[in-house]
Formats: sequence, C-alpha cells, structure tokens
Amino acid sequence: MLRIMGAYQETTQVQSEHSRVVDALPGLVWTALPDGQVDSVNQRWIEYTGRSLEETRGWGWQSAIYPDDLPGLLTRWRSTLASGEASEIETRLRRFDGEYRWFQLCSFPLRDDDGHIVRWCVLETDVDDRKRDEALLTGEKRVLEMLAWGYSFPVVLDALCRLVEDTTTGCYCSVVLVDLTGTHLEHGAAPSLPASFITSIIGRPVNLDSGPCAMAAYLNEQVIAPDLTSETRWAEYEWCPMAMAHGLKACWSTPISSTTGKVLGAFAIYYDKPRTPTPVQQSLINRFTHIASIAIERAQSDAALKTSEARKAAILNSALDCIVTIDHEGCITEFNPAAERTFGHRRDDVMGKQLADVIIPPSFQERHRRGFARYLSTGEAHMLGRRVEMTALRADGTEFPVELAITRTPIDGPASFTGYLRDITVRKQAEEELRRSEAFLAEGQRLSRTGSFSWRVATDEITWSEELYRIFEFDQRVQVTLELIGTRVHPDDVPLMRDMIDRARGAGSDFEYEHRLLMPDQSVKYVHMVGHGIRHNDGRLEYIGAAQDVTQHRLSEEALGKARSELAHMARVTTLGMLTASIAHEVNQPLSGIITNASTCMRMLAADPPNVDGARETARRTIRDGNRASDVITRLRALFGKDGPTTESVVLNEATQEVIALSLSELRRSRVILRTELADDLPPVRGDRVQIQQVILNLLLNASDAMSGIDDRPRHLVIRTERDQGDQVRLTVQDSGVGFEPQTVDSLFEAFYTTKSSGMGIGLSVSRSIVESHHGRIWASPNDGPGATFSFSIPTSSVGVATESGPGAERMSAVTKANG
Amino acid sequence: MITGPLITIVDDDDSVRESLPDLLMELGFAVHAFSSREEFLASDSVRETKCLLLDVDMPSMSGPGLQLELRRRQQEIPIVFITGHGDESVRPSLLKQGAVDCLFKPFSETALLAALNAALQSSFKGRAKCAMDYEQV
Repeated sequence: MLRIMGAYQETTQVQSEHSRVVDALPGLVWTALPDGQVDSVNQRWIEYTGRSLEETRGWGWQSAIYPDDLPGLLTRWRSTLASGEASEIETRLRRFDGEYRWFQLCSFPLRDDDGHIVRWCVLETDVDDRKRDEALLTGEKRVLEMLAWGYSFPVVLDALCRLVEDTTTGCYCSVVLVDLTGTHLEHGAAPSLPASFITSIIGRPVNLDSGPCAMAAYLNEQVIAPDLTSETRWAEYEWCPMAMAHGLKACWSTPISSTTGKVLGAFAIYYDKPRTPTPVQQSLINRFTHIASIAIERAQSDAALKTSEARKAAILNSALDCIVTIDHEGCITEFNPAAERTFGHRRDDVMGKQLADVIIPPSFQERHRRGFARYLSTGEAHMLGRRVEMTALRADGTEFPVELAITRTPIDGPASFTGYLRDITVRKQAEEELRRSEAFLAEGQRLSRTGSFSWRVATDEITWSEELYRIFEFDQRVQVTLELIGTRVHPDDVPLMRDMIDRARGAGSDFEYEHRLLMPDQSVKYVHMVGHGIRHNDGRLEYIGAAQDVTQHRLSEEALGKARSELAHMARVTTLGMLTASIAHEVNQPLSGIITNASTCMRMLAADPPNVDGARETARRTIRDGNRASDVITRLRALFGKDGPTTESVVLNEATQEVIALSLSELRRSRVILRTELADDLPPVRGDRVQIQQVILNLLLNASDAMSGIDDRPRHLVIRTERDQGDQVRLTVQDSGVGFEPQTVDSLFEAFYTTKSSGMGIGLSVSRSIVESHHGRIWASPNDGPGATFSFSIPTSSVGVATESGPGAERMSAVTKANG
Repeated sequence: MITGPLITIVDDDDSVRESLPDLLMELGFAVHAFSSREEFLASDSVRETKCLLLDVDMPSMSGPGLQLELRRRQQEIPIVFITGHGDESVRPSLLKQGAVDCLFKPFSETALLAALNAALQSSFKGRAKCAMDYEQV
C-alpha cells in the first residue's frame, strides 16, 4: 500500500495528465483506497456537490448522500470492497443548492500487475432524468392499473398525489374537483396537506377571487403563484394568509379538463418556499393533470355505469315481466326473478344453458332452433320486434301460454337477444270467459229475441247489439241513427216514438213503451222497449236498454183477446139462453099441467054422464098449477132481487188501480199511453165497490174507444183522482180522442145515445144511475185540445151515508131503464 | 069398458104423472106412471107397454139412455118424448134415434093423440115385423 502510494507520487507528471482526463469525463469521479476511503475527486464532483476534496476525503462524502439512501449505499459499498468485483449502485446525491439528483455509481477496482487491488475508481453518472422518468412511468402505470382494476376514485387520486410528491421532491400535492353544479369546489385528494387547509379550500366558489384552484378552474388556465408573501390576488377570500399559516409559500394550480374540454377540477402543487416551475416540472404537471383527468372521467363514467347497472338490476329484479337474455349461441345470460317465479327455475341453474332446453316445450324446440339459426345466418327475423303469443314450459313440465317480445340487444359484437315474456294464462282464461259469456249473451238475445242498446242523448250516438240489428233487419255495418230507426217504425206509431224521444231527452227518467215496425216486406213486428236513464258525472245522459221482439207474443195475445171477447159474447148469449130455458122450464111445467088438466076436465064434463067429481078434481089441479106458475115468477123476481148492492167503505185509489190492472192489456193493445195521477190523501167513500168500478171501467173503455181512430197524435189517457169541494172525491178520465160536440153534452148520459158505431149507448146512462145512487154527480167537458174529459165525484164516507134501500132501489130503476 | 093399449108414462114431475094418466084414461087407454126409469124397468109394464111417454130430462138415466137400454133388452117400445125445455133443437136428434115424436110442454090434447096414434101404428108394424121374423126362424 505505501509502496503504491510512493510510486504514485513519483509520477506526478502522469498524475496531472490523469487529472485533466478525469475532470473532462462527463460525470463525477472519485477514487478510493482499497479500504473504501476516498482520496480524490474530480472537478465536476466539487462543482456539483459544492464540497471540497477535504470535505469529501475519507468518509466525508457521506454528507452528500440522500440520508434515506445512505444505509443501503454503505452496505453495498462494503460488500463491493469485500468482493473486489465491479458493481453499480444508484443513489441520490445532494447538489450544491440542496436538490438531490439520482446518480448511478459504477465502482470498479484498479489492480496491479499481481492482480492486487490498488484503488477503487467510482464513476457517478447523473441518471436523475431517466430515474425520474422511470419512476414516473411506473407510477403512472400503477395509477392507470388502479383505475383499470376499479380502485375507488379517492384512492386513485391519492396515489396520483403521492406519485407527484415522490417524483418532485419537497412538494405537496392536491386535487380539487368542481362539483356537479359547476359552482363550487369539492375535495378530491390531498394526502400530505393538513386537514385544516383542505377544509378551508373545500366549498369555495369557482371564481377568480376565492383562491388559485378556483381561479384555475374558473378560467380553465394554469395559475402560478410563485411567492405567496408578495401575492396580491384572492385577498377578498384571504386565501394567501390562510395558506401561509399552513407554511406554504408557493402554489401552482392547473385546471383538469375532460376530453370534451369541460373543467373537472384543479391539480395543485404547493411548496414551503417560493418557487417557479421549471420546464421539466411544467411537463410533469401536464402529464399528471392528464392522468388526473383520465381518473376523474373514468370515475365519473364508472359512477354513471354503476347507476345504469343498478337501474338495470332494479328493472330486472322488480320487473313483473320475465326478462331473459340469450347470447348468439342461444345460451341464457340473464334470468330475472320474475322469470324464476314464472318458470320455476333458479337463475343459477339455467344460466349458460340453451334457452330451447329450458323454457320451450319439446314440440316447439326444433322450430325455435331453425328460426334462430336462420336469423344468425341470413338476418331474416320473424320474431324480432313483434309481440307474439306462444306456449312455454315450466320446470315441472306444465305448459302455459305466454306473450313474448324479443329484441336484439343493440351492442357490437356477436348478437345477443332480450326476451320479455308474460304469463297470460289468466288473461287467456279471462278472454275465454269473456268470449263465452258474450256468446251466451248473444245466444240468449237471439233466443229471447231481445236486443240491447245504448243511446247517448246529447250526441245521439246509438250502439246496438247484434240481435237488435236482426230484429230491425238492418245490416250490422250501418251506423244506427234515430232517423234510420224512424224508417222502420210503423207510420201509425211514429207520433208515439217522437213523444217517447221528447220525453226521454228532457226528463232522463226511465221509459217503457211498445210500438210496431213496418218491415220492407210489409210485415209488422211488435217491439217492446225498456230504457234506463243514467246521468253520468259530467251531466251527460245515456240510456241503456233492451228491446224485445214481442210479435209472436202480441199476435197470440191478440188472438187470445179476440177469442176472449168472442167467448165473452158466447157466455153472455149462453147465459141469457140458459136463463130463458130455465125460466121456460119452470113455467112450462105448471102450464103443461094446467092444459092437461083442463083437457081432462072438459072430457069428464063432456062424458055421458059427466064425471063431475073427476072434473072437480082436475079443475082443482088446474088452479093449483096456476098458483104454481105464479110462484115461479115470484121466485125469479126474488132471484134477481137477491144480487142487490152492498154498502162498504171504498178506497177510490185502490178501486181505480184494480180497474187499471184489469184493463191494462186492453189499453196496451189499443196503444194507449196511460198516465195515472192519484192523490195520496183521499178519504174513503161509502158505496158499492163493484158498481163504482163498473163506472171507472166504463169511462176508461169509452176513452180508449174514443181514441181508437187517432193515428196522428199519441193516444194519451190520464186518470186522476183528487179531492173535490164539499167533502167529495173526484175521479177524472181525460182522453185525446175524437171528443164530442158541446151541444150534445146534455144527451151524453141518456140511454141509447151513442157516438159509436158499435155500441148500445147504455154505458154512460148506467154509470150515471150508479153515481147518482151514491149521491154523486157525473159530467163531461170537452178539452181545450183534442179529446174529452169525464169526471164523477161522490161524497166521502164521513158525509152522506147511503141508506140500505136507497142505492139498490135507484139501481133497479136504472137497470130497468137500461133494459127498457 | 074396453081396455085400450097400455101407455106408460115416465116423468119425475108430479103434476104430469097426476094429470096425464087421467086424460089418457078418458081417451080410452090403459095407463101406468112411473117417476123413474129404474121403477119402470123393474115392472111388468115393460112387456105390456105399447107406447112410452118419456120425459127427456130427468136425473139418473136420461130419456135416450132408457131407449138404448130397451133396445138392448129387445123391447122395441115406441117412444114419445116430452120436454119442459122449449128447445126445438133436441127434436131432430131424438127422432133420428128412433123416437116417434117429441112433445113440448105444454102440449095440446090433439098433439098428444096424434103422437100416440103414430106410436101405436109403429108398434103394430113392429109387432107384425117381429111375427114375420119368428116365422122365418
């Protein structure tokens, strides 16, 4: 060792040559003794570190090493010395101005001819830019990986800040975000800055005055504040004092923009001493800002994606319809809860399976496969975008109807399809039920010859059931109108129909009437109509009703009525004949005896000698038989006399209603529109109920007869009961018939007076007798319009009580008068 | 006194059974009177009677009913119906069924005699016809 040193000193000339060469090398160089103590440095080392050889010599160089790197460096250095092999170590060296830069230290031994190490030569090359680039690349890669792996957004930004802080020694880094409204700052990341500083910044408005980040975001421009001590901006918000209170002296804030140019936030670097960014730093800032924008955009699109995924999941899970997706091979890729419920398969069990195997009945599977294959090869779709009904298969093997719509999922790459299915078993059943009940209704309508209709009065919209079209013999395609209906109504009944329509329009009350139709073949139909008025909430009036073809019914009723009247006539004639025969027999018997006995008597007296005793006997018998004939007459009178009037309390309304009930079918047959106006509070009258009813019936039938020829106006008939003056009750029958001439009013109630071609003219006469026997009064008056009004009034039971003999005697005389 | 052919009266009316026999006896006939067909059918008169005066309308068996019963018994007695009902319409059907005549109460002596004569003549013819029938047997 000493020998070498001596030899070295001996060659100073050579040494200075070497020094010049070493100084010219593009790196820092030092030499060390085999034990590792530095004995020389080149000029560049002195210039870079700002340290003299004296300061560096021996182990003094250690003060130039970045403290964190020193232990590792020393270990490596010792092992290099021990091994005697060349080595490369990287470490940070402190520059004269205090900045550390990375250097690569290449150490190699210098040996003598015997191979002994005489010196170590260490060449230190500045690799800071490469190292920084590497670190930066690694960091960037890591951050991007974190993004790709789906690390949470704050974690990624945090890592980014740390990367910046690691790469750029001595700085503090933060990311602030612009909130969704674009008006305020939100926290992004600031791993090394004090919480109080961050809190102070967050929530500041995005404008020129609230701070450098707010300003950078507002302007979308970089804002450099190299020295906060002399900074005058953001005074309004006292930003600088706040920052300086946290020990910060410089701030460089750069906006982070999206690819579309929208400002997402700001990236800020702070220093604890005044600084201006170097071009290198500026480029770093640009790179970091770019990464930050990627991270933020990614985070935002992730959030959007998550929202959309969550929405999709919610839709899938809560959809009432089954949603099943399949890929291009027909394998199930989604099977939502509704599908699980409907088909009885668990999602996990069917995922990835062929759709055809899972929910398509065996009989349809082949067709499904063919259709699917055809679509994939030719693009010819029969099912897509249409709503179809088909049969599906449950897990338990049962088949059921579904409604299905298939769409092709609009994404790139291999085809995938979404099917929306709905179990329509219930709907099918309901449809079937509905069809059946409709069929029943139609059949019922057909069988009963009853059609139904609705009539919206305001608009005259009319809806008919099929059967009604059949009854009216209209084509079902024609629109029904009142005019059209009018063309079928029998001309005689048109006034009736008009009257009905006018009433229905006004009152909204239910109606019921019957009219005739005159069909094109001149046949006549009878239609019975019933309408029920409904007043809707909005005030519109609608009638719902039914119309029945009662032709058969009516014809048979007419035949029946005719038969009945014939029968009545027969009965009357027969009764009379029988009465006559009975009277004749009763009288003929004694008459026969009288004549026979008289003949015998004459023969006995004419005999020779005359049989006087015999004659006397036969004469006696003749007298007896004469008496007997007289008795017969007496008995007959007694027979007639026995059916005398009874006197009882009669409620006029009840008696009237009974008469109406008896004559209703007769009135209907005569197409009379009857209206009853019976007063509620009438006291009873006293008299013969049957006789009073005969009077009412007589007036009613007279009124009906008086209208029988009236076809140009409705045949209105009103029956009214009311109180009359002087404790009397009055009944009025008002018709709209032919009426009578005023001058004939006095003769109306006389017997044999009649205006009718078929009639005896005794009805009103008898009626008057009956009314008068009840101490009442009967009269007639012509109407203002067409027709006449007949009224009678009789005292109530509280006033004049008819005597037992009174009405009977009167009636007998009336009958006698009538008969006479 | 010559006793004429037996005339039988069946009538439920007392005055007829009382007065008619007297008149017929005055006219020279033998008379039996019964108030019902049953009485008549039970009596010997069935065989003796030359003419039956029969009331159309009686309770139990009617006049035509008795006529049928007699025919069943092969007692061909000429019948003259008498009736108190003035109903001419029954007459043709009664005559068609073989009655000799139908008298309506009250009837005259002349009408009665005419009917009886007709009946007795038919009775004679009937008897002669019967004798011929017997001879043939």
